[in-house]
Amino acid sequence: MTTIGIPRALLYYQYYPMWKTFFEHLGVEVVTSEPTSRNTLAKGSTRVVADTCLPVKVFVGHVLSLVDKCDYIFIPAIRSLKSRTYNCAKFLGLPDMTRAVVPESPPILEIEIDVNRGKRYLYQSIYGLGRHFNWNPLRVREAATAAMEAFISYRGLMSESRLTPLQAIDDITGIPRREPVEPSIAPTTPSATIAVIGHAYLLYDEHVNYELIHRLEQYGARVLTPEMLTEHEREAAVARLVGRAYWTYEEDVVGAGGHYLQNEVDGVIGIMAFGCGPDSLMMEILRREAGNQQTTAFMCITLEEHTSETGVITRLEAFLDMIHRRKRRRVALCV
Amino acid sequence: MRVSTPHMGHVYIPFKAIFKRLGVEFIMPPINTQRTLSLGARYSPEGLCIPFKMTLGNLIEAADMGANTLLIPGGDGICRLGYYGKVQEQVLHNLGYDTEVIQIGVSEQKFRSLMSIIRKVSGDAPWYRIISAIRFGLSKLASVDRVERVVQKVRPVELVKGTANQLYSHAISAIDKADDYDTLKRVEVDYINQLERVPRDKQVQPLIVGITGEFYVLLEPFSSFDIEQELGRMGVEVRRSTFVSEWTKFSFFLNPFGINEKKRIHRAARPYLKRDIGGDGWESVGEKVLHAEEYDGIVHLAPFTCMPEIIAQNIMLSTREKIPVLTVLCDEQIAKAGVLTRLEAFVDLLIRKRRAHSGRAQGAAA
Ligand code: SF4
Ligand code: SF4
Repeated sequence: MTTIGIPRALLYYQYYPMWKTFFEHLGVEVVTSEPTSRNTLAKGSTRVVADTCLPVKVFVGHVLSLVDKCDYIFIPAIRSLKSRTYNCAKFLGLPDMTRAVVPESPPILEIEIDVNRGKRYLYQSIYGLGRHFNWNPLRVREAATAAMEAFISYRGLMSESRLTPLQAIDDITGIPRREPVEPSIAPTTPSATIAVIGHAYLLYDEHVNYELIHRLEQYGARVLTPEMLTEHEREAAVARLVGRAYWTYEEDVVGAGGHYLQNEVDGVIGIMAFGCGPDSLMMEILRREAGNQQTTAFMCITLEEHTSETGVITRLEAFLDMIHRRKRRRVALCV
Repeated sequence: MRVSTPHMGHVYIPFKAIFKRLGVEFIMPPINTQRTLSLGARYSPEGLCIPFKMTLGNLIEAADMGANTLLIPGGDGICRLGYYGKVQEQVLHNLGYDTEVIQIGVSEQKFRSLMSIIRKVSGDAPWYRIISAIRFGLSKLASVDRVERVVQKVRPVELVKGTANQLYSHAISAIDKADDYDTLKRVEVDYINQLERVPRDKQVQPLIVGITGEFYVLLEPFSSFDIEQELGRMGVEVRRSTFVSEWTKFSFFLNPFGINEKKRIHRAARPYLKRDIGGDGWESVGEKVLHAEEYDGIVHLAPFTCMPEIIAQNIMLSTREKIPVLTVLCDEQIAKAGVLTRLEAFVDLLIRKRRAHSGRAQGAAA
């Protein structure tokens, strides 16, 4: 059977169930790379120039680990998913850049998604991708419909049952869910609700963010993420803060951040990669919003290849401390 | 209304001309210096690219001088630039400037949006006056570009170093002052003639280096360490296909010659990069491929953290064309001295390469 490799990086977290369904309906076996390890990152970063952002280095590492495990590698080029939104250059150049830096890779199958170019172009692109495995347009269409359904139920699962992509993917692929984390590190502190926002590939890659979410749970915090919101909630926050969304993933950053700054949580942690173009601007919008509101704490953690684990932990602890102090003060004021 | 706009090379010249003709007060921020950059960098969020910092510096200085309407480039699908306005406006407001920020959509409505913005700023002047003012402004820009092309040729071969630069700066201020088409034409012809007459060293065959990379740093010499001048001083002839007259980069019709050139560049890039990735990454790859035979080397200018140019750099490193490429990062953290050292080493490399090459060619002929 033909196999196609999907690197467990970048857009994997948002679309894996969709892509998997699509390819499996066309009779292709899907393999993914192992979760990121130190090795993945180290290998990836030898292939690209040093200024490349961390997530792309990680991505290249995952591609390298798939090189002799599949017949094709799937790398989409997503330009825009909504009219007049645009993506970071790195996503647009991803297939071509990967070909350049991993010349030994099996053939790379790509698809360009750009809704600005109309429905017809979209259908053609999907057929263009499916045709590699089944030239019958009807079969490709069936596969695409099934994929779309899988995507909708994946998003639904996350927003309704409040699951993170990792949990939802486990659910879908039939892996038993991990036990909820017992607060273990500082059980005496009162619990806080913390929203962690940013690109999915930074939030859920536990190697690059030093298990940030897990760690927050160990501290007894309840953690909320962008996927747990409905599309409507995120869009409303974008509209309030910047008007019209400009970036393809603006809703995960400005949308989710903006929403949580006003609702439900004691603090918002933004995670971004060093040198990230879109986030350097979007996190600034959030920082200013938090400054204007003065109610919800906000902190932005910047990750790069050499970010130290202790640095991240220290900042995390300081942030939680501050929230606890604020809460205590508020309780004291009430009595 | 007191209007201002950030600098990018000589873009202020047409703006000045347009607003003068329309009777609008135009405030020109001080030309770019270290002060502009430090000012902009101080108030910029972390991790931003140099065009953001420089233009923010200009805007703050303009607001300080009393400008109350700031025109800044914006628009769809042009990388971070399209989002600059949203953040720069907030920064200015937080600093306490009560300015109106108008984003010029340089990509989507092309020329129309520029015209209607100028109309709005001019207090609804009649269309014919706006069109004639814009035409005049653009003619000035075209003159600047034509003079610049000659300067690029003269710099490396002039006998007395610095002559061309001096004439160039005189020409710029004369063009800036010209108030009608006749004067403009005369000034241009006059300076081009003078440049052509500059005594040259006829013996040397200067090295040819293509300059490619991100739009802003290509066109704003201060942001890119005056690299063209420096190369000229080292006796290198510089070729660049991006000129200020494409400053509304997507309004190609202003520069019909530009369309074909860009098409050629894109076609050349295609085997390695299929699509526009925002910014100018596609062009950078294309120029390397297209000019590999023609040029001795390429200097690739990239703002630090510039996403399209990082992709371009990754791809350029592995294309089959073997022309040497020097990537120069532009940022306020990077010292000019270090850049110049690398540049000199690069030029040495090109000289050695050319010698080896011509040596081989002679050997083959004999
Ligand atoms: S959005 Fe940011 S983190 Fe993601 S690829 Fe682009 S620069 Fe890198
Ligand atoms: S192309 Fe580069 S310099 Fe221009 S806005 Fe984008 S990141 Fe900044």
